[in-house]
Amino acid sequence: MSGMKPLNPKAQLLTEAERAGHVEEIVTMESVAGCATTFDPGWEVDPFGGVASLCQPMEADLYGCSDPCWWPAQVPDTLNTYPNWDAGAPSAQNDWRELDAVFPKK
Amino acid sequence: MVNPKNLVRLALLLLPVIAQAAGAAPKKDYIVTGSKPDRLFVIDAAARRVVGDFKIPGAHDWVGTIVPSPDGRVAYVLVNRMESIAGIDLGTGKEVFRADLSSPGERVKSLFAFDVTPDGKRLIVYEVPVKLGLSEYLVEPTRFAIFDTNAGLHAKPVREYPAPRRVHTLLASKNDRTFYAIGFDLYEYDIATGKRLDTRGIRHWDHPGHSRPDLLAFWPVSEPTGIFATPIYSTRTPASGHGAPVPVTSLMTLNLRTGALAYHDVEKTSALIFSAVMSPTEPAAFGVYTQLTKIGTHPYRVEKRVDLPHTYYAVLVSTDGKEVYTAGAMCDVTVFDADTLAEKANIRLPGCGDQSVTSPRLVRR
Repeated sequence: MSGMKPLNPKAQLLTEAERAGHVEEIVTMESVAGCATTFDPGWEVDPFGGVASLCQPMEADLYGCSDPCWWPAQVPDTLNTYPNWDAGAPSAQNDWRELDAVFPKK
Repeated sequence: MVNPKNLVRLALLLLPVIAQAAGAAPKKDYIVTGSKPDRLFVIDAAARRVVGDFKIPGAHDWVGTIVPSPDGRVAYVLVNRMESIAGIDLGTGKEVFRADLSSPGERVKSLFAFDVTPDGKRLIVYEVPVKLGLSEYLVEPTRFAIFDTNAGLHAKPVREYPAPRRVHTLLASKNDRTFYAIGFDLYEYDIATGKRLDTRGIRHWDHPGHSRPDLLAFWPVSEPTGIFATPIYSTRTPASGHGAPVPVTSLMTLNLRTGALAYHDVEKTSALIFSAVMSPTEPAAFGVYTQLTKIGTHPYRVEKRVDLPHTYYAVLVSTDGKEVYTAGAMCDVTVFDADTLAEKANIRLPGCGDQSVTSPRLVRR
């Protein structure tokens, strides 16, 4: 990955792990068992190093990723802690303005 | 001498006539799909018309895996943020079965993986339980739970067995005796005893020259052929033995009648495929994502590929093999000619809720 620069903290962590020789430890975290343990750094780019092969448009994929907790960093955990995040917004392409940020409960 | 093949062809030709004479309406293909927040749709595929539009009680904005009963009368749907399975009568929309997996103090989710036995009598459900304590959560062992489909609206498991972790697809074999669980590897279990009968490689596949593969298979479609098919990705060492590994798209097939498991390389990966279905009439499979791909299976290769207006997660093929249906993700189902991949029709779902990760299914009734 010498020609690539990390754009967010998760990608930065992956880069640091590679330098330190700990990439194998990250690979073992790939198990999909809920939001907290999903680790999928591939979302920044597609398998070909671009973005053309990501879902088109992004809204087609929003609920496809949030419903099974595939996007732990970008959307709330809708399976467990914020199950009402998308209530009243059944269509991502039409209702995306209704999707708001969430904050830890006091 | 009469050729037996001709006799079979004649019988097939006469079947609709006999059915009509007996007063039974000829069977048709229906597409069953779901959408947010709580909808279940039945689409007459040939008429391009939504003929059933039902609300699933207690879906809580989440509609996932769909498993039709073998007679095509009931759809079992994973709802309620993976915590409930609702059986919906596809004629009336009435809820006829309900299994709420969680109970006070224990949260149970099924990660897409459940199926109904070919006799229609039992549901096999993969469960991921967590004990909810006052100050801590305790992750419990995963398990298979068996439900009677006639248990009504308060179904409880009649049997439970230990299960491996990371199962995401469960497929009943056609013998009514065993089922397959797809996780790190392919496992076969005895329904009656919960005994693991066989383990075959997925992560540990025997595919010479290939790296450990990657698989995303939670569209449990095997109709109309009885063969489950899914793309599987790996890298392959160049034939020269030198240079960077080459990404390869392969097709994994599991015959639910014979148990035959096979891997076939399709192409040097040039486009993504999320899910696939086998043609019932020609040596071909169809794969979908942001392109629709026709894959020849004698030999395995990409025969045709067309761009789609948006990403679809799921693909179905008609019983006569002439049409392909793309669905999932957004709020429409598109019909394609199976030969040319030319678009023939587009069916927009009422309300335009996202289908998201639901698994659209083809029902013949």
